[in-house]
Amino acid sequence: MKARILGVAAAVSVIAAAAVGLLVVPADLNQGDAQRIMYIHVGSAWVAYLSFGVTAVAGVLWLWRRDPRFDAVALAGAEIGVLFTAFAIWGGMMWGKPVWGVYWQWEDPRLTTTALLLALYVGYLLLRRMTDDPARRATRAAVVGLVAAVDIPIVHFSVIWWRGLHQTATIGSPDRILNPAAPLVFVSALVSMALALSLAWGYLMVRRYQLARLEWQREESARMGRIVAARAPGAAGQVAP
Amino acid sequence: MNGVRAEARIALAIAGKDALSELRGRHAAVSTLFFAALVLLLFGFALGPDSRRLAEAAPGLLWLAIVFAGLLAVGRLHLVETEDDALEQLALYPIERRAIYAGKALAGSAVMLVLGGVLLPTVAILYGIDLAPAVLPLLATLLLGTVGFAAVGTFYAGLTVRMRAREVMLPLLMLPIVAPLLLAAVQATGAALAGDPFGELGSWLQLLAVFDVVMAIAGAATYGFLLED
Amino acid sequence: MTDWPFVLAGYGVILGGLALYAALLHRRLAAARRAALDETPPAEDE
Repeated sequence: MKARILGVAAAVSVIAAAAVGLLVVPADLNQGDAQRIMYIHVGSAWVAYLSFGVTAVAGVLWLWRRDPRFDAVALAGAEIGVLFTAFAIWGGMMWGKPVWGVYWQWEDPRLTTTALLLALYVGYLLLRRMTDDPARRATRAAVVGLVAAVDIPIVHFSVIWWRGLHQTATIGSPDRILNPAAPLVFVSALVSMALALSLAWGYLMVRRYQLARLEWQREESARMGRIVAARAPGAAGQVAP
Repeated sequence: MNGVRAEARIALAIAGKDALSELRGRHAAVSTLFFAALVLLLFGFALGPDSRRLAEAAPGLLWLAIVFAGLLAVGRLHLVETEDDALEQLALYPIERRAIYAGKALAGSAVMLVLGGVLLPTVAILYGIDLAPAVLPLLATLLLGTVGFAAVGTFYAGLTVRMRAREVMLPLLMLPIVAPLLLAAVQATGAALAGDPFGELGSWLQLLAVFDVVMAIAGAATYGFLLED
Repeated sequence: MTDWPFVLAGYGVILGGLALYAALLHRRLAAARRAALDETPPAEDE
């Protein structure tokens, strides 16, 4: 199956990109080996944003067309987005401890924004859990996903201004790696990991989508079954819709 | 033109109805106010007794109290509807869902403004802050902050009112969304109280205004889908 | 340097997490597909 090929390709490229980041690329002059975490940390963050963007758009499409397939995409995007957001935060913490000396820091806008991102979409997933009716669940989720997506840019700016006013000298800024003047080796490690993670994202999305579709169909037939049983004449015990 | 005026009339009617039920259910409104003051008191026990530390933390503590009490207030405004299925009846009428949203958000803003108005002097007393030199910017911050909170809160209260575990779902969903509002309101309040030494007050107020507009539009646009339930 | 434990923890948890999640999805998909096949049309023998 095509999905299987994608999966294998994703696995191979992720391992290869990790090898590049860990072994091939030289250590950074200032941040030492800790710099290596940036490649996977930044890549995870990008994929997370991509995933949530897909969720927001899929939600809007559901509101417009009411096709359950869109809701399945939205769910997959949110769940996998949460996964990659958690990875990004973990990577940020593992980078922060050697470079800043602390696991967490309030002055880094990306870290705080990512934490809020996690909170927003965990809330999204919990909201889905709390709603039993599939159509209502999809609608509520779509609306919440939209408001969350709209909030993100505002969060981004507010946190950057916050930092700007209270700037204290930080030894290492994660931004350095995104500088276009950075050495080509670093940039290629970053890009290759980002591409590899995107492949992994694509594969996981396909699988999660398939699972969501199967679960939706199971739910539908369970509901149909209950309705049929409830309507059956002389149904012995009875029923609870 | 007629459509807009009709909508505005409906919105105001709903706002009036909600505000009236808040006034009539006097105990509930007063309890919320009291709760907020209690929160401020408790912050004193948690962070005191060093009054300088409290004074420095005052803007943050004020807005946290507003947020916590606001969650209760905004939730209650929608609870009133379910108790007699009024919301469903409202949704049946061919009036713009937007108007319903606007009316409820307006009522919510009014309630929260009163809340803020009571908390400001409370904070001044409990944490030893001098409000006098900053009254105007403080009121502006209060206005923008509470309107934004009400805009978001009306939407999420409408969403969660018929959900399982709604008491926890409302804050769980709302708090991450209002984080930037909290941040900006606190920064603006702090700047106002300090006499705006870095000239940042304007920027924070602008951020609040942008938040308010964006969230009001998003809320108005999507509230209709919630009524469909 | 003393950075390597963090680097390895960083990569390890993320790569491991990806693998774990993929495996989890596989299991759930297999189970869901089995369940879908088991669900025959309502030819119950009541």
